[in-house]
Amino acid sequence: MKKIIEYVRLYFRLVGAGVRAQMQYRFAFVMRIVGMVAAYTGTAVTMWVMLYQFEELGEWNFYELLFLFALAVLSWGFCIILFFHFRSLDTYIVNGTFDRFLVRPINPFFHFMAMKFDIGAAGQFIFSIFVFIWVSNALDIHWQLGKILFLFGAVIGGVLVQGGLLVFISAIAFWTTKSERFYWVVMYPARNLTNYPLAIYPKMVQWVTAFVIPFGFVNYFPAAVLLNKETPYFPSYIGYFTPLVGIVFFIVAYYVWMLGLSRYKSAGS
Amino acid sequence: MAIIEVKNLRKEFKIAKRETGFVGALKSVMNRQFVTKEAVKDISFSIEKGEMVGYIGPNGAGKSTTIKMLTGILVPSSGSIQVNGIVPYENRKENAKNIGVVFGQRTQLWWDLPTIESFELLKEIYRVSYSRYQENMETFTEILGLGEFLNTPVRQLSLGQRMRADIAASLLHDPDILFLDEPTIGLDVVAKEKMREFIQEINTLRNVTVILTTHDMEDIEKLCNRMILIDHGQKVYDGDIAAVKSRYGKMRTLIVDVEENGRDLQVSNGELCKQEGNRKWIRFNRDEYSASDVISQITKTHNITDLTVEEPEIESIISRIYQEGFSKEEVPVKM
Repeated sequence: MKKIIEYVRLYFRLVGAGVRAQMQYRFAFVMRIVGMVAAYTGTAVTMWVMLYQFEELGEWNFYELLFLFALAVLSWGFCIILFFHFRSLDTYIVNGTFDRFLVRPINPFFHFMAMKFDIGAAGQFIFSIFVFIWVSNALDIHWQLGKILFLFGAVIGGVLVQGGLLVFISAIAFWTTKSERFYWVVMYPARNLTNYPLAIYPKMVQWVTAFVIPFGFVNYFPAAVLLNKETPYFPSYIGYFTPLVGIVFFIVAYYVWMLGLSRYKSAGS
Repeated sequence: MAIIEVKNLRKEFKIAKRETGFVGALKSVMNRQFVTKEAVKDISFSIEKGEMVGYIGPNGAGKSTTIKMLTGILVPSSGSIQVNGIVPYENRKENAKNIGVVFGQRTQLWWDLPTIESFELLKEIYRVSYSRYQENMETFTEILGLGEFLNTPVRQLSLGQRMRADIAASLLHDPDILFLDEPTIGLDVVAKEKMREFIQEINTLRNVTVILTTHDMEDIEKLCNRMILIDHGQKVYDGDIAAVKSRYGKMRTLIVDVEENGRDLQVSNGELCKQEGNRKWIRFNRDEYSASDVISQITKTHNITDLTVEEPEIESIISRIYQEGFSKEEVPVKM
């Protein structure tokens, strides 16, 4: 317990330093936030244009679709803040700067994670909070305590699923030195897939996004619970498993990462 | 009890064989073939507390691989290592508390933050007590002159300042052993000289054991009394520097300025190896002739206006050892 408290304290110290370092480049910081808000708004507009034609997509109307999208953006925002540093792990390995994390008396996973705290994710928060308020009004959603707690758990689960995948992909670099392309092959499609309700995809795709790379738990399953939507092929209560799925997936990713690290230590780069 | 004990250390890497050309690339994807490269083969040595040891060798000799194994970054293929009684690769975190590491080419400081922040963060990471931190910062500020740039972001420091900050950072937690990987690389003459003084002072002040890899033989000559020379992953020499010098440094160079009198300079007890106008370089073997023998021969034909005798640089001695190999009868290898 004492150790955990010390790690938490150290985390905030390191993260604080990371934030101050980022604030050295204020212009880039502001531009990233503006850029993110613009990009997500663009996707939302595309949805609107599409739905203007079809009115519904897999029995989800425009507002429900927007809610689904905002939920993914919200947990992605937290994920960027906490875990985005893992995306640059391969660069550290290539340059040989990763060794620095191995000559210090703390857990290298923790140390690496805490080295950067990407506050640029404010764009994601601005967008998703705005959308949540808008959609809640339009769909007349009442946020009682139960729903708020459920949303909370869903975001934690979503952050851990997406963060877990980032960790997973970064760990590949311990074997192959480069892992950037896996990001584009796995992470990017998975995130794009979840912009729309899984119900519109073939059964096979739905199955993979539920049980292999569990991105269905990032937004589709929890949103279905919150909006009382049907989830064909899956029981209606599946969304309640979101936090558990997130935790399990992240723990697996952590152990794969540690396995990669021990491989790195015996083989070098 | 030695502070570092290395026995029969070996490290081999498997490297995927790559073939050239498109077909070759395709082939190596389909059927990967590995070549085993032995970066370190059977190295043993022990180092006592407070020693300053130069660990040297040409590029690719296995220096960094050894250092990485001593610091716990890499796991050896076989052999044993004990650093301060700890096996580094089994107990990396414990080992990390006892050692300080400086990689000359790569800073361990927080690039975008004022220098002082890196020290404060390392204080947290190594859990250095507040009073000890204050004491250390005082000492380092004094001997390393950190005061002038503590509030400057690391990225704006000069290389010399950055190296000083890096050394201070590696010593904050009072390690018993300091690994310095090319601590003077890229520094100008003055900064190099200063850096050597700091390292010397830290060693005397705190009895810190220093292991130093470098390409600059002056570092070794000025700092270390012992050097371990490795080549192709094997130890070629381990012992004091004076002994190498006395065995291999028999040759002296006499540099004389002579008055021009139209006659060629003839020397039989040395070899005229270079001349520039009035200045002549004569190499002679110290065991066969003394400098005065050579000088008196020159004065028979020429008037000498100025002279100096140069000792051989350790650098040229080492390149001779690499070329000719080291015959073990001449200098016993210290085990």
